[in-house]
Formats: sequence, C-alpha cells, structure tokens
Amino acid sequence: MQYLLDTRHWILGEPTSITSLLVAHLRITAISVLIGLAVAFPLALVAVRHTRTYLPLITVAGILYTLPSLAFMALLIPFTGLTATTVVIPLVLYAQVVLIRNIVAAIQAIDPWVVEVGYAMGMTTRQVQWRVVLPLALPVIVAGVRVATVTTIGIATIAPLFGVPSLGYLIFQGFNTSYADQVMAGVILVSALAILTDLALLGVQRLLSRGRRVSPATA
Amino acid sequence: MASITFSQVTKRFPGADRPAVDTVSFTVPADEICMLLGTSGSGKTTLLRMVNRLGDPTSGQVLIDGVPTTEQDPIHLRRGIGYVIQQVGLFPHLTVEDNVRLVPSITGEPAAKSRPRVEALLRLVGLPPAEYRRRYPSQLSGGQAQRVGLARALAADPAILLMDEPFGSLDAITRGRMQQELLRMQQELHKTILFVTHDVDEALTLGDRIAVLAEGRLVQVGTPVELLATPANAFVRRLMGADSIVRQFEYLPVTLALDAAGVRPHAAESITADTTLLEALLRLIQSEQPALVVEEAGRPIGHVTLGSISRSVRRHRSGVQA
Ligand SMILES: Nc1ncnc2c1ncn2[C@@H]1O[C@H](COP(=O)(O)OP(=O)(O)O)[C@@H](O)[C@H]1O
Ligand SMILES: [Mg+2]
Repeated sequence: MQYLLDTRHWILGEPTSITSLLVAHLRITAISVLIGLAVAFPLALVAVRHTRTYLPLITVAGILYTLPSLAFMALLIPFTGLTATTVVIPLVLYAQVVLIRNIVAAIQAIDPWVVEVGYAMGMTTRQVQWRVVLPLALPVIVAGVRVATVTTIGIATIAPLFGVPSLGYLIFQGFNTSYADQVMAGVILVSALAILTDLALLGVQRLLSRGRRVSPATA
Repeated sequence: MASITFSQVTKRFPGADRPAVDTVSFTVPADEICMLLGTSGSGKTTLLRMVNRLGDPTSGQVLIDGVPTTEQDPIHLRRGIGYVIQQVGLFPHLTVEDNVRLVPSITGEPAAKSRPRVEALLRLVGLPPAEYRRRYPSQLSGGQAQRVGLARALAADPAILLMDEPFGSLDAITRGRMQQELLRMQQELHKTILFVTHDVDEALTLGDRIAVLAEGRLVQVGTPVELLATPANAFVRRLMGADSIVRQFEYLPVTLALDAAGVRPHAAESITADTTLLEALLRLIQSEQPALVVEEAGRPIGHVTLGSISRSVRRHRSGVQA
C-alpha cells in the first residue's frame, strides 16, 4: 500500500509514474478494442448475410484465442520488433471471437417484424439501419465489448516485456528489484482498472437497453 | 377517401409451383372495411403487401384512386398507408409515445408538434396518455400493445389502413372488444380498411365486404349477407358455415324474413330493419306477441312472425343446397 499512497509515484509526465502507466494501459486497451471492433464489424456483417461463413470464421477466431499471448507476441518480434504493433496485433485478434459472436447475435436477435414494420411505415433503408437495427443491436454489442475490454486490460499487462509501457511495468520492475509493495500496487491497479471499466461499460449497456432486459454477453 | 383496385394481380414466388396470388381483380370502395378471408396459405398476406409495395405484383396492377402503385415512390406511398400486423412489431427501445409518433418523426416533424395528435390517438384507442405515454412496449399487455400498434398506424392520418390478422393472437374476449372498438373508430375515421383474417366470425362482424381467397384465387367478393345468402360455390358455403342455422340467425337481417301478408297494424312492438334474425326471434319470444313490425327509417315496411322466420330459414337452406 505504501507504494500506491506515495504521491511521488503519481507525478504527471514521469514516464514510469502510476499516472503515466495508467494512461498508457488505457491507451493500448482502447486502440486494440477499437481496431478489434473495426475488424469484427465487417466480418460479422458478412457472417450475418452469408450464414455459411459464420462457422469457419468463428472457428479460426476461436483457435487464435487459444494461442498463449506471450508466445504470440514473441513470434511477432522478427516482423514488428519491440513496438506497440507487436502487442496490439494479438490483442485485436483475441478480441475477435467475442466481438464477432456478439455482433452476429445482436443482429440476429432483432425481431424481423420490427424491421418489416419500419419499412412498411415508410422508413428508408438508412433510417431502418440507424433508427431500428443499430439501437436494438447496440446493447448486445456493448456486452461483447465489455468482455473484450476486460480481457484486453488483463493481457495488456505483459506489454512492458515488449518495450510497450503499461501497468504491468510495476509488476515486472517490482519482481526484478524484489520490491513486493510495487508488485502489489501493479496487481491492485490492473484489477481495479478492469473492474471499473467493466462497471462503466455495464452502465453504458444499461443506458442503451432502455425498455429492455439487460442481456449478458454471448461468450 | 381512397379506393383500392386490384386488376389482374398475380404474384409468383421463385420456385413455387403455383402463384401465391392468381389473377385477382376486385375493388375496395373508399371508406369501407373489406375483409380478406381464406385459409392459411391462400395468399391473403401476399395480396395485402402489394398495396404498400412491400412486394410488387409479377403481373397486373394495384391502383389507389385509379393510380397504379408502381408509379408511386414506395417511401412516400407507405407513409400514407397505415400497417398493423398480428406480431404488432412495436419498437422495443422506444416509449409508447415515440412509437406512435414514428411516422411524423421520420418525416422530420418535431416532437412538440405531434404531441397533441399522439395524445388524441392514444385516447382514441382507449389508452389514457398520462398513464401509457412513457411506458415501454415490454410494459404492455398483448391487447394494449395492439392498441398502440393501431395508434401508430393512424398517426399520419392515412386514408388506407392495412391490417393483417391484427387481433389473431389476442384472447377471445379481448379480440371481441377490439373488434367493437375498431367499428366504433371507423364511424369517426372513415378509412379504407383492408383486413386479413381466417376467422369467419371476424369477417362477418367487421366486413362491409368480404373477399374470399382460396389457393391464390378470388372465389367470391360480396357483403356478409350476400356471402351467407348466396355463396358462389360449395367451398364458400362450407367456409362461411352458410348451412349453419346459428350463423344465419346471427348475421342475416330480419328483412329476409318478412311475412308475405304485409303490415299488420295491430302488432304492438316494432324493430328496425337492420335487426338480425336472432334478435328478432328473441324479441318475439320476450314480447309474447304473435308479430313484430319491421321499420325502416321510422316507416313500417312489413312484419315478422315465428312462422315467417322459420320459413325464411328453411327456404334459405334449400336455396343454398339447390
Ligand atoms: N416471401 C415468400 N417467398 C416464397 N413463398 C412465399 C413468400 N411469402 C409467401 N409465400 C407463399 O405464398 C403462399 C401464400 O402465402 P401468404 O400470402 O402468406 O398466405 P396467407 O396470408 O393467406 O396465410 C404460401 O404458399 C406461401 O408459402
Ligand atoms: Mg398471412
């Protein structure tokens, strides 16, 4: 606790201060999840339209998910070196299975009669997509984003092994210098970040689910 | 005010061995309720969906006030046609109020402007706005949801209302109440209503006119009385239950059973010409009189007796079987 409470460890601008590491951790998480979404969205739309592509897609994403993260990132070093790219590529790929699953489930769960009524009342295709499909799908998609984000926050802990700063720095540095309090600080901060992010996204999900049941993620 | 005309309308789905709708021609006059009656798969929904261009005919035309629908922009056309379906299809993420003002809102009308109209519509369909406006569809019963569906369809004040088995999933009591309320509303609204049902009693209760479909073909179109009194063939007779004395008593008017002997001045009680045979019979029994005067617009046009009613039903049945 000593480490956490010492204000010197929170100084802004200091590259290894808690504040800087927290920001770095959030940044690598946000970048990975956003790129993950950008990749998963079109893939999910393809899977919805051509249902036969769903199984191969989700199988490949599932296999990628089982690769050990440390080994995966190490394998990329010859190609991308000790850069953020080495960390982000696996994080993006890990998120695919849960994101694709949830986006597909979100769209498939939409009552086709609601869409039919949308068209029947004179909505344009764009209006149906923005006013009906998206608001109905979003809560389930956010449920998937929640799971993906929390997982990403966890794995991003090992980023410092590849020269990319994150809260994991405190843990590895603490181990190297046998500074138990620093290790504990790292563990507590990563856990707190994961829990708080999960709660914040749950709040977003609640907000988006007005009028409906808050659905769990399709994991 | 809008009439709907089907002219040689055929709809063929790819891969089907017969057309879903097969050269159907008839007209629904403005301000009438026309029932599309037929068994499941007879093409009722397919025919209905061609009116608002959710599907276009393979050949033939649907005309609204004489203008072919295919010459009209589907988006614009649909905004002027109300659509109510059995599955209701309320938007679960919108409140009752926002569901009802959907058509005004997609045309860009601000919420404040449509508010009074939304409240009037909710009152019309029997939902006090103060209590229901802010509710979500998940907080409504099946009957209440369908009331909202009806209010939503009426929001843009369309001249035409398409209804596809709207009361089909409601319990019998709620269904009966909704049917009566639709009739009450129609007296104010004067919409041209095309109403799909497979329920003969619903067709007889609501229809100014009934179009009977079988395997995509129009078998007969006429008023309820015409369909019961002069079914075009054995299929219609069986479908309508035209042989059933109960059904005849329930739906045929007393004017079909006037006594040949003309007005009997000493009959004490009178009934109106639109009274059903069943009501006339009950009144005869209750009044303990030998005859009742039948009046049209306050003028006596004849009288009925137990004998004349029973003769008319017998004549009618043998006529049907002939
Ligand atoms: N989109 C479609 N594609 C192929 N066949 C269809 C489609 N819609 C309806 N049909 C067929 O057309 C026929 C009439 O269907 P429908 O109009 O729904 O009947 P109803 O409403 O009277 O029950 C049925 O045989 C049905 O299987
Ligand atoms: Mg149908």
